[in-house]
Amino acid sequence: MEELLNEQIREQVKEVFANLEHPVQVLFFASKEGCDYCPDTQKLLEEVTALSDLLGLSVFDLETDQATALRYKIDKAPGFTIAAKDGEIIVDYGIRYFGIPSGHEFTSLINDLVMVSSRNSGLSQETVDFFKTLEQPVVLQVYTTPT
Amino acid sequence: MVLAHQMALESTLVEAEMIEAMEFPELADRHQVSGVPHTVINLGAGNVIGAVPEFYLVAEIKQAIGALAAGKAGQHPSI
Repeated sequence: MEELLNEQIREQVKEVFANLEHPVQVLFFASKEGCDYCPDTQKLLEEVTALSDLLGLSVFDLETDQATALRYKIDKAPGFTIAAKDGEIIVDYGIRYFGIPSGHEFTSLINDLVMVSSRNSGLSQETVDFFKTLEQPVVLQVYTTPT
Repeated sequence: MVLAHQMALESTLVEAEMIEAMEFPELADRHQVSGVPHTVINLGAGNVIGAVPEFYLVAEIKQAIGALAAGKAGQHPSI
C-alpha cells in the first residue's frame, strides 16, 4: 500500500512532535467484518506513530481480542483510544476515536497525541475546578464528518 | 485539539468519543445528527450543535446532569 502521508505533511507533523514529553500508546481495534476504513485507519496510525519514539501503537482485533476491546470500551471498528504509557502501565483517559481521522480530524489526532503526551488538558482553572466537583459519569460523543 | 478529549483527560469521570458520522450512519441517525460537530451528552441528556467555546460546553454538561439546580445558575451563559 502506498504511503498516506506525503513527505511535506510528515515533516510538519515531526515538527509538532518535537514538543512530545511523555510516552503515548495508541490502542487500535480493527474488524474483519465489513470494516471498509480499517486498513486505511491502521495505516494512518502506523505512519503517524512512526514519526516519534515516544509514540507506540498496539493493534487488536475487535472479535478475537474481545476482553481488551471491552476494557477500553471499543465496540465498533475502526476504533482506537489514545492512552498514556507510564513505564509498562497503560493509563486510559477515555479518549476514543471511531472512524478514520482524516481531513480536519487529522489535525485533532495530532493535537490529541501532543496533549496526552503532556498529560495536561490545557483547560481553564474554572473548568478544572468544576470537574473536581463532578460526582457522576459524563459521556461526550462528538459527531464529525470528513471535511 | 478536541475540547471533549481535553475534558476526558482532565476528569476520570469523563469519557469522550469522536465519531465519524458517515462511517456510522445508524448512530448519527439515532441522535439526529445533521450539522457537525454535534456533541451528544450522556446519550441525549444534552445536545450541542456546532463548535462551541469551553465555558459553553461546561454549561451544557451542567445542565444535562442537573447541576444547575445546585445553585450554579449564575454561571450559565446568556447565549
